[in-house]
Amino acid sequence: MANYPFIFVVFAIIAYGIAFRVYGKWYDRTVWKPDPKRTTPAHMYMDGVEYFPVSKYVLWGYQFKSIAALGPILGPFVALSFGWLPALIWIILGNFFIGWLQDYGAIMVSVRNEGRSFGPISYELTGPKGRNTLLGFLLFYMIIISAVFIYLVATFWNIFPTTFVATLGIFATGILAGRLLYKYRINVVRVTILALVLIVVSIFLGRLLPIPSNFLGNWTIAFWAVVVCGILFAGSILPMPVFIQPVNYVSFFPTYLAIILILIGALLSPITNISLVQASFKGFYPDPNVGPLWPILFVAIACGAISGWHSLVGSSTTSKQLDIETDAHPVGAGSMLSEGLLALASVSCYMVLTNDEMKVAAEAAGGVRNIGSWVYGAVKLTSAYFGGGEAVKNFLTTYFGVVLVIYALTVQALVTRFWRLISAEVFGQNILGQKYPATFVGLLIPWIFAITGSWINLWLYFGGSNQLLAGLAIMLITIHLARVKSPSIYTLIPATFMIITTLAALLWEIYDFTRAVLGYLGVEEFTKFGLKVAGPLAKPSPDAPYPYPTISVLLNSVFILVGVMLFLLGLRMAYYTYKAYFRFKAEPTPAMARESA
Amino acid sequence: MFWKKKDKEKEQEKEQGSEKTGFKKAAKGVLYGMASHGHVMSALRTRMYLEHLFMFITLGDMLGIPVLPPYYSLRILPYAVPNIKSWKMRVFRERDFTDAIF
Repeated sequence: MANYPFIFVVFAIIAYGIAFRVYGKWYDRTVWKPDPKRTTPAHMYMDGVEYFPVSKYVLWGYQFKSIAALGPILGPFVALSFGWLPALIWIILGNFFIGWLQDYGAIMVSVRNEGRSFGPISYELTGPKGRNTLLGFLLFYMIIISAVFIYLVATFWNIFPTTFVATLGIFATGILAGRLLYKYRINVVRVTILALVLIVVSIFLGRLLPIPSNFLGNWTIAFWAVVVCGILFAGSILPMPVFIQPVNYVSFFPTYLAIILILIGALLSPITNISLVQASFKGFYPDPNVGPLWPILFVAIACGAISGWHSLVGSSTTSKQLDIETDAHPVGAGSMLSEGLLALASVSCYMVLTNDEMKVAAEAAGGVRNIGSWVYGAVKLTSAYFGGGEAVKNFLTTYFGVVLVIYALTVQALVTRFWRLISAEVFGQNILGQKYPATFVGLLIPWIFAITGSWINLWLYFGGSNQLLAGLAIMLITIHLARVKSPSIYTLIPATFMIITTLAALLWEIYDFTRAVLGYLGVEEFTKFGLKVAGPLAKPSPDAPYPYPTISVLLNSVFILVGVMLFLLGLRMAYYTYKAYFRFKAEPTPAMARESA
Repeated sequence: MFWKKKDKEKEQEKEQGSEKTGFKKAAKGVLYGMASHGHVMSALRTRMYLEHLFMFITLGDMLGIPVLPPYYSLRILPYAVPNIKSWKMRVFRERDFTDAIF
C-alpha cells in the first residue's frame, strides 16, 4: 500500500488536516485573534464593485482558482531530480509551517489595514524606498514569469501535436460564449452547456488535425512563441469581457476536471495497480545542470508549498470581500492547503512513470527530459479507470496536453495585462507607459528569453523570484504583527528561511550562468558546462560549434544581469523589511509608553 | 412520551435537512466562486469605469471641466444623483498597481 500514489494523497490529507485544525486554530488564537464582530473592509467601504461581503465558500473557490495553476503541476518535475522524497517532505512541511501562514496572513494584514493591497502596505510599513523596490522587483518578476509561460506553451504545442488546434477551438469557444452572454444575453446555463460540447469537439478536432512536431527544426519553438505572443497581445489590449473573461470562464471546466480526475486516479491507484516506480532519493547534488538540493529544491517547487503570487491575490481582492474576520482562516489557509494536495497529486503523476516511459517522453520532446511528462503520468493514472484502451489514451493525451496549455495561457494573459498596468505606473506619459508599446515590450523581452534560454534556469529564476516575493510578503506580515505587538516569531523564522534560501538560489543561478560564460571564454575549470542556450542558438550536435556564439554569450550575460538585479532588489527589500521590523519591535507597547510618561 | 420522540425525530430531520441545504449551498458557492466570481467582478469593474465616465461627463462642469453643455447635464442629472455617493467614494480611494492584479 505504501508504494501507491494513494498514500501521498491520504498522508497529505491527514497532515494538512492537522495543519488546519490543530496548528491553525492554535496559531489563530495566539496571533491574529480574529473577531467575528469587528467590521471588515467589505462592510466598511461597501460599494458593490470592489468592496462587498461574499460567502466564505465563494471566496474559497475564488482564491483556490486564482492560486492553483501550473506552479504546483510542473514545479515538482524539476524537484524530482533529487528524488520524490525531498519533494514530498517539502510540499508537506513547507505548506504546514510556511505556505498557509503566508496566504492567511496576507489576507489578515490587508483586512486589518482597510483592505489595502501590498503596494500601500509596503509603503506604510517600509517607506517609499521599500515600495519602489517592490515595484522594481515585480517588473523583473513579470518578465521572468512571461518568459517561462511563453516557453512552456510553445513547447507543449510542439511536443503534443494535437493540442494546437484544440487550444484554438477552446479559445474560439470562449470568445463565442462571451458574445452569446453579453451581446445576445443568452442564459448562462445554456451557454455553458454549449461551451462544454464545443470543448469536447475542439479536442476531437485537435486529434484530427495534428501539426507535426519540430516542423521548422530549431526554429519551431520560436515560431510557436510568436503565436503565443500574438494571442497574449490580443488578450492584453482587448476589453476584458471580449477575450480574457469568457476564455477564462470556459477554460475553468476542463482544467478543474483534470485535477479531479488525477485525484481520483491517485486514490484508486491500489485498485488500478499503478505504483510509484521512480527513486525516492537521488542525492544532494545529483545533476550539475539543476544544482544542489539546498536551495534549489525550495525554489523549484514554485507553488504547492508556498508562493509569493498568493499574497498578491489575497491582499488585492479576497481581503476586500471577506464577510467576517473568522472566514479568513478557511479561505486563506484552506485554499493553500488544498493546493498542496494538488501538488502532491502532480508529484504522483511523475512518480508512476517508469524510466522507459520517461525516456519515451523525453524522445517525444527531442531532449534528455520532457517537461510534459506530467501528461504521460496523468494519462497513466486516469486511463486505467476509463478502460485503458488506445482511443481513450489518445483522447486523454490531447486533453491533458490542452489543460497544461490553457492553464499557462489564461494565467499569462492576466500577467501580460498586469505588466501593461505596471508599465503605465512606472513610465507614466513616456511611450513605454502607453498601451501598445508597453504590451509589445512586455512580450518581446520574454519572447527572446523564452526561445533562447535554458528552461530549467528560467524556471529556477521564476521560482527564486516567486519564493523571494513570498519571503518578503511574510516579512511584511511579521512587521505588521510587531507593530500591533502580537507574537511575530512564528512568521519571522519562516520569512528569514525563505529570504535566505531564495537569495542563495538566485546566487546559484547567477553562478551557473557565469561559469557557462567563463567556460566558453576559456576558463578550463568550467569548459565542461557549455553555454545555457536552447532552440536556434543550441549546438546542432555535441561536437559542433555554437551557430551564433556572440549572441549566445551576450544572452547568457543578460541572464546574469537579470539575476543580479533580482538579487539586489530582493536584498534591498529584505533590508528595508528587517529595518522596519526592528524599529517596530523596539517601540514601547502602549502600556510601557503610559508608564514612562 | 411518543410526542417527545416525534419532536426529537422532527428536530433530527430538520437538522439533516439543514445539513443537506448547507452542503448544497457550500457546493454551489464553491462552484460559483471557482467558475464565475472573477468573471462577475470583472464585469462589475467594467461597469464601474463606464459609470465614472458617465458621472464625469454629467458633472464635469461643476468640477471646472465643461464636457457637456449644462442643459444636457441637467437633463440627465436625475440618473447621476443616486450614484454620487459611491462615485465619490471610489474616485477618492487610494489605488495602487497591486490592486489591479485580478
